[in-house]
Amino acid sequence: MIKIHLDPRTKLFMIFAVSFIVMVNAVSPMEWAVRIIVTLIPVFLLANEGRYVSALRFLLCYGAALLLLRFYISAESTGVISALLVGYCGIVAQFMPAMIMAWYVIHTTKIGEFMSAMQKMHIPDGISVSLAVVMRFFPTIKEEYLSINDAMKMRGISFAGGRITKMIEYRLVPLMFSCLNIGEELSAAAVTRGLGAPVRRTSPVQLRFKAADWLMIVVFAASMILFVISKYFR
Amino acid sequence: MIEIKNVNFRYKGTDEGGLHDLSLTINDGETVLLCGSSGCGKTTIGRLINGLIPHYYKGELTGSVTVNGRDIAKTELYDLAGVVGTVFQNPRSQFFAIDTDGEITFGAENIGMPPEAIISRKNDTANEMHIERLLDRSIFELSGGEKQIIACASVSVLSPDIMVLDEPSSNLDSSAIMKLKAILADWKSHGKTIIIAEHRLYFLRELADRMLLLDNGRITKELCADEIKALTFADTEQMGIRPLSLTDIGYSHESKSTQNERLTLENFVFTYKDGKHGINIPELELPTRSIIAIIGHNGAGKSTLARNICGLEKKCKGVMKLGDKTLKAKDRLRSCYMIMQDVNHQLFTESVRDEVMLSITDKQMTDTDKLQKSTEILTQLDLSAYSDTHPMALSGGQKQRTAIASGIASSKPIIIFDEPTSGLDLAHMKQVAGEILKLRDMGKTIFIVTHDMEFILSCCDHIVRLEEGRVVGNTTLNQDNAASLRQFFVSEI
Repeated sequence: MIKIHLDPRTKLFMIFAVSFIVMVNAVSPMEWAVRIIVTLIPVFLLANEGRYVSALRFLLCYGAALLLLRFYISAESTGVISALLVGYCGIVAQFMPAMIMAWYVIHTTKIGEFMSAMQKMHIPDGISVSLAVVMRFFPTIKEEYLSINDAMKMRGISFAGGRITKMIEYRLVPLMFSCLNIGEELSAAAVTRGLGAPVRRTSPVQLRFKAADWLMIVVFAASMILFVISKYFR
Repeated sequence: MIEIKNVNFRYKGTDEGGLHDLSLTINDGETVLLCGSSGCGKTTIGRLINGLIPHYYKGELTGSVTVNGRDIAKTELYDLAGVVGTVFQNPRSQFFAIDTDGEITFGAENIGMPPEAIISRKNDTANEMHIERLLDRSIFELSGGEKQIIACASVSVLSPDIMVLDEPSSNLDSSAIMKLKAILADWKSHGKTIIIAEHRLYFLRELADRMLLLDNGRITKELCADEIKALTFADTEQMGIRPLSLTDIGYSHESKSTQNERLTLENFVFTYKDGKHGINIPELELPTRSIIAIIGHNGAGKSTLARNICGLEKKCKGVMKLGDKTLKAKDRLRSCYMIMQDVNHQLFTESVRDEVMLSITDKQMTDTDKLQKSTEILTQLDLSAYSDTHPMALSGGQKQRTAIASGIASSKPIIIFDEPTSGLDLAHMKQVAGEILKLRDMGKTIFIVTHDMEFILSCCDHIVRLEEGRVVGNTTLNQDNAASLRQFFVSEI
């Protein structure tokens, strides 16, 4: 399959559009149709990155959530099981699409591209550098977290004797110390390479919108407009 | 030219690493090696030159530092970026970008170089350093050595005249160290001034024009190039630093693995998701109650083997036979304890004693017994004075000892160390060797994943050598084959 490569600006717009459409309550069939299309595109992108298993797993969960919402859950349903199911559907149908989109953006955007995009949108360097550091930290946090998890397994304290607070504490405390240290060393390394100079940063990455970008922008913009009209102007 | 005049420096909140009335002149094109034990102030000198002191690390500073005629205290850090380049110890934390291209161009972007110039500088640097194959890669798929080379390239791109390197070899294996050496030699041939603070010294023997030995913030000894080359193992031992040549390191240690009981790994076959890296070990017989070094180049599968021995990879179907027991991955998780390279990942509680107590899981013991046992263990590892201290407030060595203490407390028969001596000075390396010998005397079987030949010769009994995931050597270490071990590490020089 041809790998789709999108401009970071398109991706940012897509995150915004997906989050907006998916989070807002959908009622009419039209709204549902828009929402499903908007959910399927990130899933397609996920598969495009080679994550077929994750994409398929999500599709199954999503299908189940849609069926539940359609045939089982209504405004009148009560009881523990329905409450749990409502929670499940909410997470799968309303949070996951945005999460997948965010994963895709973080996974496929190089810092250089991102910085260049921010510059083209005239965002101040201070803000774009901070956001870039946040993006750079996600994979680091993951690495650190996995390593802490291993250490806990070896000591047989993965579940900390069933105490939830301890379970969280044992994971978070070393993670925070690690990130703090890495952050400090990282900024020392960055300032010795001229970060913070009072000149406009430049970027060797030349960004240009391509057909795929325009297609996505049109699809998502149209979806948003349709959604807003059907929701608020009828 | 770099001139440091009568500098006194004290870090905020600690006495360690400060400098006392230090004066030093470094000429253009000189390669200066700073050595001495941890906390002697060698890193601090580097920070004076690259301006991190006083602009980033705060403390009390008197005296003056000038670099190429600029007063460092009055020069902004970004103005120094094109003058002084710095390579740091830890490749993990000095990267801003997550792809190699972005990392190399980062400095040039910061000072606002025009895009075309950035691209041509990047390509030139890649050509000069022969790293074209590393371009356009994700930082996370690089080995430690490759990361450090990218770090050098990302500094080189601004072509500063002065290079400061702070323990750059700490996380590197011998072949990566040789690549680093080649880069340094190239910089030197281009007339760059190089200031390098290091513990591992052997790769700098031919490069260093001057060596400064520091102790407690003062220069205690100064050697010129010829004197450096003449240093023998006995000399460096006496000076308290790591040897400058690997060929004459003695092997005096007596191997004690005469036990009859064996430990056998069977069918240790494991491949990572990427399908490339992994291990393939049909059978491996090893002595118990001894210290086994696992050696091999980066990517040979050392850490993978260690993780599999620990049982951290559930998919591995291999079993370990220990005495009459056959241990599967899940069982091994309960019989093995690993001291990780970054011990920060395995300290969870609020005090050193709690850390040890957490590992005593024997249900038959009463709380008083546990308390007593923890006191014993803390005394054994010289940690009694810190029993109420928060583990994160300890020094690196103390943290590592705390991790070892909880390993002992867990009463597991097998203890694995992942690179326990990376970035350690001679005294601390010997201390770790001493602790590991103690563990052996307690009857533990110890595996050590390491690149550190000096360390292997000071305590290991047995060597397992891996290449591309397969065992290519499995021998007891003695006087005779210590020579071939040296060969393995020295061959790349």
